[in-house]
Amino acid sequence: MKLTIDRKAVTAKKDETVLQCALRHDISIPHLCTHSHLSPFGACRLCVVEIEDMPGYPTSCTTPAAEAMVVRTDTAALQNLRRNILALMMLEHPSACLICGRRDLCEEYRPVAEKAGRTTGCHTCNNKNVCEVRTLAEELGFCDLPIPPSYHHRPVDRSNPFIDRDLNLCILCGRCVRICKHQHGTATIDFVDRSSKTHISQAFDRSLLDAGCRFCGSCVDVCPTGTLADRYAKWYPKPDTITKSTCIFCEQACALKLEANKGELVTARAVNEDIPICVLGRFAIPEFLNSTDRLRMPYVRVGKVLRETQWKEALKTTAAKLKEFIGDGFMLVCDTTSTLEDRFVFKKFTRKVMKSKNYIEIEPNYRGISLSSLPKGTKAVLLTGKFVPSSQLNGLELLIVQDCFGTNVSQRADVVLPAAIFAEVNGTILDGSGQKRPLHKACDPPGQAKAEWWIISKLAQAMGAKGFAYRSAGAISKELGISKAKLWVKRDQAPEAAQDLERRRTFFRGHRICEKVFALRELPIRDSSVPSRAVSKRTDGFQILEKYEIAPNVHEIVIQAPNVAKKAQPGQFVIVMVDEKSERVPFTLCDWDAEKGTITLIVLEVGQSSRKLVLLEAGDRIDHMVGPLGIPLEIKQYGTVVLTGGCYGIGAILRIAAALREAGNHVIVIVEGRSHYKHYYKEKLETVCDELIQTTIDGSLGIRGHAVDVVGQKLKDGEKIDCVVAVGCLFMMMLTTRETKPYGVKTLVALNPIMLDGTGMCGACRVTVDKEMKFACVDGPFFDAHLVDWDELRDRRVAYSAEEIHLVGRTESVAPYPGHGDNCRCLR
Amino acid sequence: MKHILSQHLGKRSSLIPFLQDIQKEFGYLSTKAIDELSRSTDISANEIYGVATFYTQFRFSPPGEHTVRVCQGTACHVRRGRQILNEVEQQLKIKAGQTTEDRKFDLERVACLGCCALAPVVVVDDKVHARMTAKKISSVLSQYKGRQTRKK
Repeated sequence: MKLTIDRKAVTAKKDETVLQCALRHDISIPHLCTHSHLSPFGACRLCVVEIEDMPGYPTSCTTPAAEAMVVRTDTAALQNLRRNILALMMLEHPSACLICGRRDLCEEYRPVAEKAGRTTGCHTCNNKNVCEVRTLAEELGFCDLPIPPSYHHRPVDRSNPFIDRDLNLCILCGRCVRICKHQHGTATIDFVDRSSKTHISQAFDRSLLDAGCRFCGSCVDVCPTGTLADRYAKWYPKPDTITKSTCIFCEQACALKLEANKGELVTARAVNEDIPICVLGRFAIPEFLNSTDRLRMPYVRVGKVLRETQWKEALKTTAAKLKEFIGDGFMLVCDTTSTLEDRFVFKKFTRKVMKSKNYIEIEPNYRGISLSSLPKGTKAVLLTGKFVPSSQLNGLELLIVQDCFGTNVSQRADVVLPAAIFAEVNGTILDGSGQKRPLHKACDPPGQAKAEWWIISKLAQAMGAKGFAYRSAGAISKELGISKAKLWVKRDQAPEAAQDLERRRTFFRGHRICEKVFALRELPIRDSSVPSRAVSKRTDGFQILEKYEIAPNVHEIVIQAPNVAKKAQPGQFVIVMVDEKSERVPFTLCDWDAEKGTITLIVLEVGQSSRKLVLLEAGDRIDHMVGPLGIPLEIKQYGTVVLTGGCYGIGAILRIAAALREAGNHVIVIVEGRSHYKHYYKEKLETVCDELIQTTIDGSLGIRGHAVDVVGQKLKDGEKIDCVVAVGCLFMMMLTTRETKPYGVKTLVALNPIMLDGTGMCGACRVTVDKEMKFACVDGPFFDAHLVDWDELRDRRVAYSAEEIHLVGRTESVAPYPGHGDNCRCLR
Repeated sequence: MKHILSQHLGKRSSLIPFLQDIQKEFGYLSTKAIDELSRSTDISANEIYGVATFYTQFRFSPPGEHTVRVCQGTACHVRRGRQILNEVEQQLKIKAGQTTEDRKFDLERVACLGCCALAPVVVVDDKVHARMTAKKISSVLSQYKGRQTRKK
């Protein structure tokens, strides 16, 4: 078929749509709901085109290409139509960041999306780097919303172990529903309450798990927005390498696309997007390999303790010890999850160097420990996993453990050697049907862990053996005569575990997978009766009296704390520990009532600690609280004072404004939010200031722009401002500083560095002000903004971001499934 | 239930007749009924629920004894139908679309009942109450409070 698209003569294949044909000829047509693995849907309407002799604007994704068709894809009318369609979509999607005037500066100053419980803009969206909606908006030159956007305030669904679902970001493209149907025949999720309230859900609002989800993660992979996210990988930066390799959790050997960032594995996905993979393949591998339980260094026993050492010494010691056990008293046990190359070296080592015939290669036991005991007469053993119960190791004279995780077996070993596994090595494995499948190194092993062939070859060399000078796994393959293996991409049906969650593997080399991958503990054991989890009500600590989410992601918490309330002064803060093991987090005292003995905090949910706090309900108790801390703001007669606040700062300036006004100042309060729904406390603020100005980035409420724009305008107009006080995020405070500096207006900012003890001991909250070192907890929180070293402060604030990402990914905050005791299937 | 499930052929295409029959029999679509339907049709409960929630005719909780329909159509709207609905909502202490705690009344807002000359109109079960006022509503409702008529 020959047709014309944008004056270009093109040839369409049989059954091709106009969109497919155009894309194949490098003619771009904006599209969103279309996905290469799904049949046309025509929901988003962005791919509209003009076709001669066809009325209106047909969607190119649903129009079959036909002979002699004349198609136009980029007329002004079409672009305008598309912009309007996108604008309508953006009315129900937090879109203020797309039209923000300070976008460039924001991207430069904070290039990585910041964590947040709820996303209310691109800056706090986990999808920021790969967002299709954002890209489209940029392409189409999206600029304004016709009417104020709405926010549905739907709760973020975290009721399942792996997927976070924030329907407030959903644009109803239907990709997730369609891929679910496509992959599993009938869907776990569907459009529900079709009307102005249409959303994606399960029957009777059951959890994903109860609705029959098998957690293949395909819906997460196809979602064009940040609505669906892999909880573990969510806040990692964009992957910098993508490697194709093979899964070794079971003999299905699914082909995986492994994505890593700076050598650390972030996500694993199916290579073949038509066939789902199992929950382990999709969600467990990164957490498994990045587990803190991994062995990172070699250890050698000195007396009663295992001492950390270097490879050189470990190999030397091991070689010397092994020399005493040459002969059949030595035994090497491995399983077939080691690569063919590894096993070739193991065997060669056992036979040639140790001169023993006891090379034991076992089939992987996916349900537990493989060998109940060791054969009699065994004096020395090298284990590459926890294959034998530790109680069976009593009679041994030498135990060498070469493993990926520390266990009670490695605790008893004479030498422990850290092994690289899985996505950390190159090699070849056999799948269930005996075909060779390749492993490609996708990430770095932890610490000094090494590939198994490397360890044994070096050991052989240290014992003086010849023929072990391998430089790579490839060299061994050559000696073995292994031809190039191919990934198992084209398969007829999904692996059994992808069809039935309960058939997932539970062990890897004797290690229980759910012990390393916390989220797996929340998958239920459906065939055992499980007692409900007893919740103990505490009676000590500080009681929460009220708690509301007053704006998306902004929580107002009223706490009973008479001693704090008695002494609090404007600008001071408290340090809170939610439970015994929590981080200590500072929160500005937003309001207090000395008579009732209560204090009010405004809390943003941005990480593990704040999430713990906002998950509490009225009636629950906080473990520890210290306060009031910090030097209160100096309340005196300044003249005209401008107070600016954003996010939590809107609440935090309440009492400051009141105190300043009482002291006879003319108080102007300017508060900012991305959109109208991010504003709160209007009535309260009106009572404590002479003038209240609200700003929004999208212009849906008050003045369009940031608070600092209003300050700047006032200064430009020559209004007399004697002092500016800014409370909010670092970016907002820094912007204010930049704006007021040329006018020389006194500017105070409430700095919010990472804080630990709050009494000036630890130094975590160190800031540089006027080239002098200050502690924000005892010298602050208020400092002269023009003297603050902002770059240093920003760098110090992100010091623990990697650790925070790890923590937030772990699902401790979701109540763990209570049944993982002795009844656990994982034990069987 | 078995009887209903055996009635329709063509499974997928007769999903709505299935749902109508179930509702006719039991008065609402229970989780149990939908799960059973899901098993016999090989359509997931989620998909069935997705279809069912589109139609206002299906309900997912047991119906109350009496159904109160308050018209919000054009004629009733002009004659303060909204006020009537507010009053009923206040008296029954529920919102439109809900059922009272004692399962006595269902409250529905409807777009037009086809008797605009009588506006504003409230229909309880099958009886039309014409030219309703906020004052008259309580006596209308009290007529039904004692009555025990199990409707099908």
